[in-house]
Amino acid sequence: MRVPLSWLRDYVDFDLAPETLAERLTLLGMEVQSIERWGSDWQNVVIGELLTVEKHPRADRLSLTTVTTGQGEPLEIVCGATNIAPGQRVPVALPGAVLPGGRRIDRTEKMGVVSNGMLCSGDELNLTGDADGILILPAEAPLGMPLTDYYGDVVLDIDVKPNRGDALSLVGLAREVAAIDGRPIRFPETDPPEDPDEITEDRLHARVEDASLCPRLVGRWIVGVSIAASPDRVQMRLRAAGQRPVSNVVDASNYVMLELGKPVHTFDAAAVSRDGTGQARLVVRRAHSGERLETLDHVARELDGDTLVIADDDHVLAIAGIMGGASSEVSQSTRAVIVESAIFDPISIRRTAKRYGLRSEASLRFEKGQEFRLARLGADRAARLIAEWAGGSVASGSVDTNPNEPTPTHVAFRPDRMNRLLGVMLPADEQRLLLARVGIESESAPATAIVTVSADPQPLSVPAGNSQALIAIVPTWRRDIAIEADLAEEIARVHGYELIPSVLPHTPMPPYRHSSLEVRDSIRETLVGAGLTEVVTHALVSPRMAEAFRWESVMPPVEGGSPEGGRLVTLTNPLSSEHSVLRPAVVGSLVEVVSSNLRQGNADVTIYEIGKGYGYESRLGAAGASVREWWRLALAGTGAAEAPAWDRPARSYDLGDAKGAIELIARRLRIDDLDYEPLTGEPLLHPGRAARVLGRRRDHADRLALAGWVGELHPAIAEEWDLRGARVVVAELDVSGLGGGLMSAVLAAAPSRHPAAERDLAVVVDEARAAREVATSIRAHGGAALESVRLFDIYRGAPLAAGEKSLAFRLTFRAPDRTLGEAEVDTAIEKIDRAIASEVSGRIRT
Amino acid sequence: MDLTDLTRDLEALRDEALAAIAAASAVPEVEAVELDVLGRKGRLTAVLRGIGGLPPEDRPRIGAVANSVREAIEAALAERGTLLRGSALENRLLAEAIDVTTPGRPIRRGALHPIPATIEAIADVFGQFGFAVYEGPEVEDDLTNFQMLNIPPDHPSRDLWDTLYVDVEGHLLRTHTSPGQIRVMHQEKPPIRALLPGRCYRYEAIDASHASEFFQVEGLMVDEGTTMADLRGLLDQFGKALYGADKKTRFRPGYYPFTEPSVAFDVECLVCGGSGCPACSRTGWMTILGAGMVHPVVLQYGGLDPERYQGFAFGMGVERIANLRHSVGDLRLYMENDLRFLGQFS
Repeated sequence: MRVPLSWLRDYVDFDLAPETLAERLTLLGMEVQSIERWGSDWQNVVIGELLTVEKHPRADRLSLTTVTTGQGEPLEIVCGATNIAPGQRVPVALPGAVLPGGRRIDRTEKMGVVSNGMLCSGDELNLTGDADGILILPAEAPLGMPLTDYYGDVVLDIDVKPNRGDALSLVGLAREVAAIDGRPIRFPETDPPEDPDEITEDRLHARVEDASLCPRLVGRWIVGVSIAASPDRVQMRLRAAGQRPVSNVVDASNYVMLELGKPVHTFDAAAVSRDGTGQARLVVRRAHSGERLETLDHVARELDGDTLVIADDDHVLAIAGIMGGASSEVSQSTRAVIVESAIFDPISIRRTAKRYGLRSEASLRFEKGQEFRLARLGADRAARLIAEWAGGSVASGSVDTNPNEPTPTHVAFRPDRMNRLLGVMLPADEQRLLLARVGIESESAPATAIVTVSADPQPLSVPAGNSQALIAIVPTWRRDIAIEADLAEEIARVHGYELIPSVLPHTPMPPYRHSSLEVRDSIRETLVGAGLTEVVTHALVSPRMAEAFRWESVMPPVEGGSPEGGRLVTLTNPLSSEHSVLRPAVVGSLVEVVSSNLRQGNADVTIYEIGKGYGYESRLGAAGASVREWWRLALAGTGAAEAPAWDRPARSYDLGDAKGAIELIARRLRIDDLDYEPLTGEPLLHPGRAARVLGRRRDHADRLALAGWVGELHPAIAEEWDLRGARVVVAELDVSGLGGGLMSAVLAAAPSRHPAAERDLAVVVDEARAAREVATSIRAHGGAALESVRLFDIYRGAPLAAGEKSLAFRLTFRAPDRTLGEAEVDTAIEKIDRAIASEVSGRIRT
Repeated sequence: MDLTDLTRDLEALRDEALAAIAAASAVPEVEAVELDVLGRKGRLTAVLRGIGGLPPEDRPRIGAVANSVREAIEAALAERGTLLRGSALENRLLAEAIDVTTPGRPIRRGALHPIPATIEAIADVFGQFGFAVYEGPEVEDDLTNFQMLNIPPDHPSRDLWDTLYVDVEGHLLRTHTSPGQIRVMHQEKPPIRALLPGRCYRYEAIDASHASEFFQVEGLMVDEGTTMADLRGLLDQFGKALYGADKKTRFRPGYYPFTEPSVAFDVECLVCGGSGCPACSRTGWMTILGAGMVHPVVLQYGGLDPERYQGFAFGMGVERIANLRHSVGDLRLYMENDLRFLGQFS
């Protein structure tokens, strides 16, 4: 809300500099977002007095004036306006002046006469809406004074929080200023001067069909108005506050909205149908489905049955609380005006405004709820201002559908409870004084008092008992205060949050609990150390990406992992189709990051993300949430695996690098048995360069601790996703504990002191035979002393037959308790030899 | 063979050996002389075989000569050996010299993304005060995301959260991490100290300062005597831990439907140091998080009696914290994942 300080001074006195005032308001909870110097864009504009006004010798439409600014020779200035006369004080833009919008004024020649500057209109100064006439200043405006000093203002832009609808007004904010030091505020005069010969009730009738949607409507009747521009001072205030001046009657309603926070509406009384007695009849009702209204913005709208409208007997006149109709708009020809000031159901207004896309300053105030009294005060104040600015006479009395005004609510509070909540030691008397500064009086509570601890929809009340409770008498405008804790905030903010002590908790610590980030963090650190960079991508992706990057292969369940499943989860109100579906897999996001980096010229990309996939499974009859979220670790790599050095060429990232990273993670997580199986049927991956990874812990060999896919992206997919021909290796894994699990401790064994026996074994097998099968066979038959089996070479060519390959393994044998004899190792090798022949149709090459 | 002949032979052998040693230009040559003369089958041994033909009275005398010959040869061998070995090492060192000014062979290190890294840093600070990490779902129900946080349907405060809805009845993408408060209160008994990091979503067009996906960290502490002064104390520690012990902090009223009283927490502007600049809208302060005492309605939805338990909650935008820590001015950088940006966090 924009608050011109000169206007604020109508209601409260303060002697703080604008910056100090802004800080104090911020510390009270009325956050000042900016301090604007209104009029700082008038440079070299001063107050002058017209000495002579004569016809321009060569142009009928222009005048030649002489103007004094109180010092020096009078200035000759040419002027095109017709509302000027000698003796008037006017704004004079001297040569070199700058006006709003950066317009520069210089000495110019106009039809043969030199003009030493310019007389300014209100519009040129951005002060009023008048672009035709010169802005005539009050006679007491000091001659020669810079206009900035006279009409300049400071405008605070205050972020009023949604619970403080009452402070969306100058009077409301004046109450906050008053709370700074406890000064009183001046509430504006609301009673209009009434014409005893005109009776509102004779002229106007108002009826509400559903009082829950419109608890109160007050109507006023004013006759004999003349529509014109508002006084300059009013226009200036509205402009500074961000409202466009329209006409005296419309400005009066806007003025009341800003001043009291009460939106009121004015109708041209002539446009409202009358009954037989000549009485205009307003009704507040729901629209009939299909009814139409052309609103003030000249849009013809078809109304639905949930829309609250104000109508006469024949037509809809306005969408209640949101926008008036064009047919009853106050115009130049308007002579009689109906002021309508009502309280509407906030939820109804909010829904309707959203439905029609018509949220306005008025609807925002209605949405936040309005004090009941404001219906009357707003109608009276608007009538008074209209009479003052547009002439006419205000009919006596008003129509009022519900004149019973509620009394202030009483909220009991326990001063010791306030202290316990805030961590302060404020005596009860001091708490009462603090509350009084925001208009909350208090008194001792009777022994039977009930303290409202919590309100709807979880109400809780307790007897005050002997806790020496007090009763706060909450002013009617503070609709946000309903429970004891609300008063704690009032006490705290008037006292000053900065006076609340800063202490460390002395209450008991909760029991130890492992962080759910433990496994994730250790994977992250491990991979970063191995040269991969962490990325964070959007979980919301395009439908195209979601469909393209769905794993066909079904992820085997991992102990302590998170199972996937279900259909895509789609946004019903996406901002763009690029981000409209929750991704079912992480890998696609990484491919996109690879692609965008390649486009940026970053050729070597090795990245990972620990993120979620999402799906929805409709489980008929099952209770609870059916949306699944599963954690995954995804990797992607392309370009160089090893950066080139001066003595070493770059080495391209390939499947082996990705497997190496996975093995590193497995080692870090004590997953000591990792297995690759060929994966040929996964459409995302190259059928000849893809593997299923399965990891187990030896002591829990029956359960998977890691599972997933690793492989080269299928060339067809790579082409579709703009990877510039790069080979990209990707992986997506479920890992035990990724969503929250423990790191398992290392169980260390003392190294054997006995020497190892090493044997190299070259196994010739068919080309199609997987290395893993051979290694498995060796391990299975190598006996207890076989410590490790490591593939160290693959050979093809003479003397091997075509279609054969030789896999060279280094076998390490070791016994924990003795030195192995040659014969023992030979026996093991013989067993392996036989197993290789029978299990993998291979032979040992010697 | 008499004593004289034998003595002459020994001296001749000595002279010959000494000459050969002096002429040796490498350690192996010296070693060859040693083997040839002093070896088990060497020439000195051969000469001494003639001792058997001498009269017994001459034997000690020839023994003394032989010893002096042996000692002379051994001394020469040792001297020449040491000399030659030393210069061999010297030569090797010379030959092995390389240009030590070339750059090292690069070892690649990746980089942690600043968002999870900032979450880790936040969790570290609060971890010291007993706050454990919890996590909740991103696809939330309206009840937990709003209603149980004292935000009824059609409440004007819903304007604070522009919401993305999904095609699952009653569900939405959580607009904040605050629903985690409800979940933790159901999961744990007081004393509760919980930290809830996670991804959140809003209906916001993406630009330099708005994101439709972003991360928050929520904190919750509930016990019988947890006060607003405790909240201030912890936030002060947090502000100083992240931004420096010399930084001033400010505690002022804020507004959230799920806290009462509500708090906004500011740190002295990191750009201008408090004198006022465009980065802080000339206020000298930067708001880093919102907080407040948990609203009694929320405590009750969490299954706790607000007459017995009280506590505070806070919530912060991780991007905002990271922006201030790393002087990043554009939120989009975080999800663009350009390696030239991320590489700086290596």
